[in-house]
Amino acid sequence: MRRVRNVPTGVLAGCLAVSLVAACGGDTATDEGGGTLTVWFPGNSEAEMALVNETIVPAFEEETGADVEVTYVDWADMSPKLNTAFAAGTAPDVIGHGVAATADLAHNDRIEDLTPYVEELDAALREDMSAALPGGEISGNQYIIPLMMTLRMIVYSGADFEEAGLDPDAPPQSWEDVKAAAEQLTVREGDKITRAGLVVPSDPIGAQQAFGTFLWSNGGEFLDEDGTTVLMDSSEAVDALEYYVGLYQGSDAVDNTLGATWASSPDAQQPIATSQASMQLSNAGDIGKYQDAAPDRDLRLMMPPAFEGHEPRAFGGPANGLMINKDSSQKELAWDFIAYMIDPDINLDYAEALGALPVHASAVDSDYVSSNPELAKAVEALPANHPNPNVPGWVQMRDAMGQHLERALHGEVGAAEALERATAEVEKIVDAGS
Amino acid sequence: MAVIKPRPNRRGRPARQRLHSRQARFGLLFVVPATLYVAIFQLGPVLYGLVLSFSQYSPLSRSGPQFIGLDNYRGLYGDPEFARAMAITGRYVLQVLPPTVVIALGLALLSNRAFRGVGLFRTAMYVPHVISLTAVSMIWLWIYSDQGLVNEVLAFFGMSEQRWLATESGALNAASAMRVWKALGSNMVLLLAGLQTVPKDLYEAARVDGANAWQQFRAVTLPGLRPMLTYVVAMDIIYLAQGFTEIFVLTQGGPYGSTTTVNYLIYTEAFQYNDMGSASAMAFVLFAFIAGLSIIAIRVGQGRRP
Repeated sequence: MRRVRNVPTGVLAGCLAVSLVAACGGDTATDEGGGTLTVWFPGNSEAEMALVNETIVPAFEEETGADVEVTYVDWADMSPKLNTAFAAGTAPDVIGHGVAATADLAHNDRIEDLTPYVEELDAALREDMSAALPGGEISGNQYIIPLMMTLRMIVYSGADFEEAGLDPDAPPQSWEDVKAAAEQLTVREGDKITRAGLVVPSDPIGAQQAFGTFLWSNGGEFLDEDGTTVLMDSSEAVDALEYYVGLYQGSDAVDNTLGATWASSPDAQQPIATSQASMQLSNAGDIGKYQDAAPDRDLRLMMPPAFEGHEPRAFGGPANGLMINKDSSQKELAWDFIAYMIDPDINLDYAEALGALPVHASAVDSDYVSSNPELAKAVEALPANHPNPNVPGWVQMRDAMGQHLERALHGEVGAAEALERATAEVEKIVDAGS
Repeated sequence: MAVIKPRPNRRGRPARQRLHSRQARFGLLFVVPATLYVAIFQLGPVLYGLVLSFSQYSPLSRSGPQFIGLDNYRGLYGDPEFARAMAITGRYVLQVLPPTVVIALGLALLSNRAFRGVGLFRTAMYVPHVISLTAVSMIWLWIYSDQGLVNEVLAFFGMSEQRWLATESGALNAASAMRVWKALGSNMVLLLAGLQTVPKDLYEAARVDGANAWQQFRAVTLPGLRPMLTYVVAMDIIYLAQGFTEIFVLTQGGPYGSTTTVNYLIYTEAFQYNDMGSASAMAFVLFAFIAGLSIIAIRVGQGRRP
């Protein structure tokens, strides 16, 4: 009979533990050439992946000798994955994210202050990006370098305007006129709206951004400049919210999409493309995609309106950008990668692939922008962009506010009461963070 | 009678004991992987979560968890958002559990009979259980959408369309209807297995005694099913009280928090607001809530006072 060898249990357990540790260990970066750089991009756009993986990264690797490992993380998972990666010490060298996340990362000393790097950029390039860079600043310091811009503008159908007896070449310039035009464009069957005059996002995040657009173009603000005083129960805010509520409630309502989430629908299913709406508050950079999806709708962009007596302001600013992990051992290489991404030619390709607005003012002369007069309008309107406050706890503030805005939009509470409650909740968050 | 004692070895230990000792060591070796897995990936995180529930901790913070005693639990006591999430979770359990169990029992009784296509019927009913909850939720997201199946059916009958997931009063009911559909198959199969353990001769005896179908159901079927019913109810409570996936996909906790279950609130607190301490405390309160409900269900199922 074969005898089983009496292998000491401890030795086997030790081998097992070593194997386990080895299996769990990450790969070791080699410093051959320019070193290894890990980069996370937010989103899952196939066009972005194709451009970055097949063109930008190979060219950067060839130029620097570096090895770049790019990971794409779905927007919804970005913050949870990034935060846990920081806790585990495995966060990437270069972090792509939305501007809303920047303040918390900077507040916790997780990202590098990029001000010295930006100061070394060519002055002409800095000037060319002057509409974009301030959106990535916190307390005067640059923490995120914008890659593309966003701006809420009204997309309207020239065909519907003509049908309703409105001049598509002379669109409304104030929010009051927008509402009047929307009433004229709204088609009803009995009490039911069959074609909305104007649709505005009403999901929690979309509602906060739309409300911001109304608020800022009425002279109001969410917080003061220091981010320490909540201003969202001002008379400007109440008027702005009442206007917003009036789009959905009452006999002269013009929007029948309350509660529906259409902003993330495919281009061909957007209300403005399907003729379910004649005007739609949208990301201006998407105009080209909407035009391709509905060529017979004569889709155009309206310059940002304002309430009477105020300057046009619309939610916008950097849509996403790149940061450097404070603990990265490859900070210089990380900055080289960011600098490469904001090269005007590279960035234009990137913005075009994503159908977004580029961060350089000079892009207005590019074929991508100049070939579409509506896109040129969007670039021209970029100085009217107004970003959300870049303060720690902003995501929590935004969510707290979003719930009260939703209640007001559904007519469950008045505008003033909703804003008072929102102010009380946001004040608690501000106090907790100070 | 003479007793034969095992021959002692050099160290004075009996050979059988030495053999047992060697077997025990090998036995220990075989359970090491599973033990390590349970300890590292299950017990470890639970214990760490318990520690975090007494701490203030953001994964972004460089300072690590700061011990703050019972502050997180005290904070939950007066937190209206948490109280509301507990109430929503309780309501969700209470409005999904009874129809799930009752309809599944009806389906189990039906499929316990011999009829043509019974195998196909059982398979069809079980299919929702094998599809992932995320995929099912995505399908129901379309079913409830403005141009979805439910509104198309309503329009066919000349009724106006509804915003199933967009109203405070309707969103949780819509999620509940989906969850009932999802849970029916597994409950039906479990109850069917329970039905098939009830001895046939009890039914024969009941019929001989003149019991009608309802009396047979009450006097034979239900008592025979009691252990399986208890199991089904307890497991459903455990799963439903942890409702997250369907809420995440269908409503994201809205509109204005009307479908924010405790598990969804924990996710928001931990991964959106980075407050791991408060989220961990919520998790342990939810654990106590689930354990309490399950114990009550089991005691009632055993015919004891809750």
